[in-house]
Amino acid sequence: MSLLIVNTLPEDRAREAVRSLTARSAHSRVIHTGPLNIHPCVGCNFCWLKTPGRCSIQDGYEELLKAYLTYDAAIFLAGTALDFVDHRMKDLVDRLLPLATMYTHIVDGQCRHVPRYEKKYRFGLLYDGEADRDYLDLWMDRVMLNLGGVSLGAYPMEQAKEAFPCTL
Amino acid sequence: MHLVIINGAARPQSRSNTAKIIAAFRMGYEESGSTSEVWHLSDRAQWAGAAQAFAASDNILIALPLYVENVPGILLEFLAGLEPKTTPGTQIAFLVQGGFPEASQSRCCEKYLEKLPELLGCAYAGTLIKGDMFGLRLMDEKEGQELLRPFTRMGRHFADTHRFEKETVAAFAGPEYLSAKECRMFRLFGRPVQRLFMGRMAKKLGCTGPLDARPYSTGN
Ligand SMILES: Cc1cc2nc3c(=O)[nH]c(=O)nc-3n(C[C@H](O)[C@H](O)[C@H](O)COP(=O)(O)O)c2cc1C
Repeated sequence: MSLLIVNTLPEDRAREAVRSLTARSAHSRVIHTGPLNIHPCVGCNFCWLKTPGRCSIQDGYEELLKAYLTYDAAIFLAGTALDFVDHRMKDLVDRLLPLATMYTHIVDGQCRHVPRYEKKYRFGLLYDGEADRDYLDLWMDRVMLNLGGVSLGAYPMEQAKEAFPCTL
Repeated sequence: MHLVIINGAARPQSRSNTAKIIAAFRMGYEESGSTSEVWHLSDRAQWAGAAQAFAASDNILIALPLYVENVPGILLEFLAGLEPKTTPGTQIAFLVQGGFPEASQSRCCEKYLEKLPELLGCAYAGTLIKGDMFGLRLMDEKEGQELLRPFTRMGRHFADTHRFEKETVAAFAGPEYLSAKECRMFRLFGRPVQRLFMGRMAKKLGCTGPLDARPYSTGN
């Protein structure tokens, strides 16, 4: 199982968790988002209607889009705010839109966007700080439903060594 | 009563569905003499003013587009930067609108919004939900008015009650899920209709390739 680790935290805060995760995967890559200077989504919808699959914002996010498609699973290391993930993580998630097309279909009785790629994404969350874990689990499930993928769950950072037991 | 409205949309005001909905809502809210002011977070120059207005007001409405099951990143960034209130007496209500038609799509976000005010030292005054709003900004004046009129009605209601009660929201939000008949119709006609309309929109924007292109395909 190849593993992408997307770190949105300051590198020194994530070091221990990154070490634990990489030790548990035969093939892994770490992307630190700090230097990529990732902006929030501006809602232009160009990724659906003008340049399908490509985001109009010229920052480091394209590297992430390509990496999501390359690795079997991705774990996000995120800070928290107001009992939820912080805005850095939320910005990354908002920017997932190019992975879906604008077309919609019905899945299990609810509308969903038709995925752009035939890829079963597996995304998990490791969070550093205070948050409502049950809610993060629910939210990750919903996020992954939108991508036609599966959530690997949300775990506090202290559990990096034993988190995601079915995947790593 | 004066209402501070914060627009949490990332799209600039001139192109934001949330901004249009807020304008319609205010019309109803102000009909009987109440007043309101609006701050648009898509313009970062307004953040300091919005934070001051938040601190000074005891009656706040945060309006937002649903962004991947929760609030847009920029709204979260703004809220996390606020100083939580230390004295009771402020209430926050929310207005969430999204692209998908079913009210059920907003429930995950609503669950979060129910506890958010408390984290900011405020009380929760309900969440108004509406789906199927994606096309609003693309509509002509008349069609748009049709869609916006119910928000004016809700503005009037909010001026009276200062709350979005669960029953009122349920009636306003429309069906929780699409009916079996709607799902059938969607399966039959959804794809060709979407191809036609979305294709037209894309062409207008200068798109020449297919909307389901895979620019980063790795064989997936
Ligand atoms: C990044 C992004 C994420 C979105 N996520 C959702 C979603 O999870 N559910 C939904 O119903 N609509 C979603 N939408 C659609 C918007 O909520 C909808 O088009 C809204 O009317 C936009 O309002 P605005 O013009 O004020 O930004 C999303 C749109 C964008 C750009």
